[in-house]
Amino acid sequence: MEEESGEDLGLGRSTAPKDFHFYHMDLYDSEDRLQLFPGESSRIRREVTQAEPTNEPREAGDSKNLQKEVAELVHLYGLEDDHELGDEFVDEHRLGYPYGMRRRDPNRGQRGWGLSSEAAEAEDLGYGGQGLPGQCQDLREAYRYTHGRASEEYECYVIPEEEDEEEPADVFCVTCKTPVRTVEKDFEIHKEHEVTPLSKALESAKDEIHKNMCKLEQQIIEMENFASHLEEVFITVEENFGRQEQNFESHYNEILETLAQKYEEKIQALGEKKKEKLESLYGQLVTCGENLDACRELMETIEEMCHEEKVEFLKDAVAMTDRLGKFLKTKTDVELSAQPEFEDQTLDFSDVEQLMDSINTVAAPSAPVINPQAPNSATGSSVRVCWSLYSDDTVESYQLSYRPVRDSSPGKEQAEFTMTVKETYCSVTNLEPNTQYEFWVIAQNRTGPSPSSEHAVYMTAPSPPTIISEAIRSCEEAVLICWESGNLNPVDSYTVELIQAETPEASGVTESVVGIPTCESLIQLQPGHSYTIYVRALNVGGTSARSEPATVHTTGSYFRLNKDSCHPWLTISEDGFTVVRSEKKTFRRELPPTKTQFTRCVAVIGNLIPVRGRHYWEVEVDERLDYTIGVACEDVPKQEDLGANCLSWCMRHTFASTRHRYEFLHNRTTPDIQITVAPKKIGVLLDYENSKLSFFNVDIAQHLYTFSCQLHQFVHPCFSLEKPGCLKICNGISMPKHVTFF
Amino acid sequence: MALKQISSSRCFGGLQKVFEHDSVELKCKMRFAVYLPPKAESGKCPALYWLSGLTCTEQNFITKSGFQQAASEHGLVVIAPDTSPRGCNIKGEDDSWDFGTGAGFYVNATEDPWKTNYRMYSYVTEELPQLINANFPVDPQRMSIFGHSMGGHGALICALKNPGKYKSVSAFAPICNPVLCSWGKKAFNGYLGPDQSKWKAYDATCLVTSYSGSQIDILIDQGKDDEFLSKEQLLPDNFIAACTEKKIPVVFRLQEGYDHSYYFIATFITDHIRHHAKYLNA
Repeated sequence: MEEESGEDLGLGRSTAPKDFHFYHMDLYDSEDRLQLFPGESSRIRREVTQAEPTNEPREAGDSKNLQKEVAELVHLYGLEDDHELGDEFVDEHRLGYPYGMRRRDPNRGQRGWGLSSEAAEAEDLGYGGQGLPGQCQDLREAYRYTHGRASEEYECYVIPEEEDEEEPADVFCVTCKTPVRTVEKDFEIHKEHEVTPLSKALESAKDEIHKNMCKLEQQIIEMENFASHLEEVFITVEENFGRQEQNFESHYNEILETLAQKYEEKIQALGEKKKEKLESLYGQLVTCGENLDACRELMETIEEMCHEEKVEFLKDAVAMTDRLGKFLKTKTDVELSAQPEFEDQTLDFSDVEQLMDSINTVAAPSAPVINPQAPNSATGSSVRVCWSLYSDDTVESYQLSYRPVRDSSPGKEQAEFTMTVKETYCSVTNLEPNTQYEFWVIAQNRTGPSPSSEHAVYMTAPSPPTIISEAIRSCEEAVLICWESGNLNPVDSYTVELIQAETPEASGVTESVVGIPTCESLIQLQPGHSYTIYVRALNVGGTSARSEPATVHTTGSYFRLNKDSCHPWLTISEDGFTVVRSEKKTFRRELPPTKTQFTRCVAVIGNLIPVRGRHYWEVEVDERLDYTIGVACEDVPKQEDLGANCLSWCMRHTFASTRHRYEFLHNRTTPDIQITVAPKKIGVLLDYENSKLSFFNVDIAQHLYTFSCQLHQFVHPCFSLEKPGCLKICNGISMPKHVTFF
Repeated sequence: MALKQISSSRCFGGLQKVFEHDSVELKCKMRFAVYLPPKAESGKCPALYWLSGLTCTEQNFITKSGFQQAASEHGLVVIAPDTSPRGCNIKGEDDSWDFGTGAGFYVNATEDPWKTNYRMYSYVTEELPQLINANFPVDPQRMSIFGHSMGGHGALICALKNPGKYKSVSAFAPICNPVLCSWGKKAFNGYLGPDQSKWKAYDATCLVTSYSGSQIDILIDQGKDDEFLSKEQLLPDNFIAACTEKKIPVVFRLQEGYDHSYYFIATFITDHIRHHAKYLNA
């Protein structure tokens, strides 16, 4: 095998150290080679596969090492400049990763289960070596194929055009599908054929090819996606099987250890028993011998006595009889003190059996770990709860329980809800918005339930806010938008989304302003556009749905009248832009002075956006009406006339006996100005940048007066009616060009 | 119609020049000042004509009013002619400051010995514009006129007698109703003869009552402490009353504490330039 590889790559393997084993790379090299030489049978490959474990004494199985090895190999083979091939190596390594499982096998074989190496090999193959590598290889080839094809397809973008130097073909015979020269077409074989101009044919051919290329590209993308999906599946399979292997390994080790321990115990017990029995028997033998000696001595003594004289004999016989009687009275123990058989030699394998069983039967799981809430995972009515199990546990289902977290009065328990789920996550629906819920989870399998996890608090997203459309103020550069939270509990922040209405095709959100802590926001915009504005509320759980939209036009300045400031004699029309002082109302009583409401001067103030740019609005007036219009600070004294203090700048018109009088009042003073044509529509230009306030007769584009005023604070449009009548305010209109000169 | 440059000075990025030419209308050498804004280097600009008051030459306005800054900003060519023919050797032309030299009153004289040379109306409305249009980068379609005192009178009558010719008109302390004031009576009697009905053709207040034509926006500034106002030489109230009656738009600003001088003009010149720029640059 090594010889083959060396030859194929045209480089001496001898450059590699002798003990450098790249068995897996060899395998791939072989495969590559086999692809290059399809004539060779796959048997070799099979042999290679089988030879691996024995060729590989130690294999770290470390992917880092593997990568290193690949890099080294690439270097050794002088392939580093061929990146595509290098990539392929890496790809193959990654794709071929399932082999890593098998590479651990020799270790296991060496662990000494008393199995022969053949058996270990057989087992290796049985563990899925046989099926997987084949499949994996097919897939790898398929994968490579798609990649290879892809690069080929891209080359097709360049279509070489063959040009006839002498007389280029200028038409295309559709029937023959070949370019021909115009001169040929009339009299040769193409005479009856349909022809088109060459450029047109070229165009259509290019179109056709381009279409096909698009399809192919699509296919490539799909196949690549599928391949990456397969890779994922590979990894999952590997992980799952690896886990199961480890599981088996640890279990079988445990059993073996138990068995060895049992054996030791048994042997030791047996030895002890044997020793005990032998000792007892030996003791008995010694006693037996002693008895025998005593008997023999007695016999000898008696025989001696028998040879004695009668008197002596009798004398001794009495004593002898006594002694003999005594001796015979002592029992001679002839019972065996120990039996040669084993007693109680049944072996107890119950614990082993239990262990064996436990390979397939599992323990009750341990308590799952509930995850903290992931940001942006909640909606107004649902949260997604996630938890994890310990990898050793087998879990059939989970019991997820929750209850709302509220400051409930004692004795009033919040209702608990429980559901059973298979996955390690659950989307819990039908919840209250912007509310905290406490979750805990219990895992269970057929053995039993786990303890409960810790309790985790999740929060539902808020309800969508409500934009207060009456409070929207805008100018050319900005909008001030206000909304109601819509949530009883405070939320973390708000997000304003802006979509330019002129571009419906770009239906995405063009701009978002995030992290707004309060219920209003001043947002910079581009002049002369329409925007659709939405607001969302945010908390730790997530983002609310969009509010109802509001539309804003950045044409001119747009404001509404502040009804709180309105003198009681004035009424504001429903649309909010006409101020009416009716005939009948007369002085009845003095109103108490307030800070917000005009009580003496019959006036109302508008809410202009606080932006220091240029603002323009117009006011329609009756020529005979007595009115005052201009600007005032918000805290202008409400008991004084407009223009009678340093916080207001106004144009006042009074009409008396056919004479119009125009005053431009600030701090009770006015320049002496006469205007010959009474304006019916007055334009007001407030220019913070140049510290100016100008008035115009709109109909004839006539400049009337300009205040130079230092506007240290923001001012608002103000209007008052000294006589019954009405004013109509026009805003949200673009500034006429003539006013831009002032 | 050869132009002779008398002086040229850079001013606010542009050039303040004075020229001399032989006037056909007035049959004498005439000087006029012209300010060319920086914008005139690259294209045609509107022309704004200034008519000076009694005793003035082309120099008063260009040295005292400080109009150049605003004219430079708005890109206006400003032309300031002299106030009368000079050196015509007419008997009595230098006898008084309010008649003859420096007091042409912007009329075409019909009486001897003035009628040959004293044709200031034709000069400022015809000859001078033609000269300017032919020699300077100006847009003939966009011209306006303003002036001070006698020149204010001249500006008003030029505008009112030629509806549409001028885009806008303004005046500083103009002699609004010369037929009723001593200056006007003296001048008109001398130039136009004793027939007062002929005078009305050069009286702004009279012209208003018969004005019909395109909309014109008139801005008038008047110093409240102007001695000639109290001497009833200017009579702006008559003009305003006539304009009110005829609904001709006028903004008349009576400026507290100001007199008849160029200090008064310098104070409000920017407002007037802007007033004209609004129409000329619209």
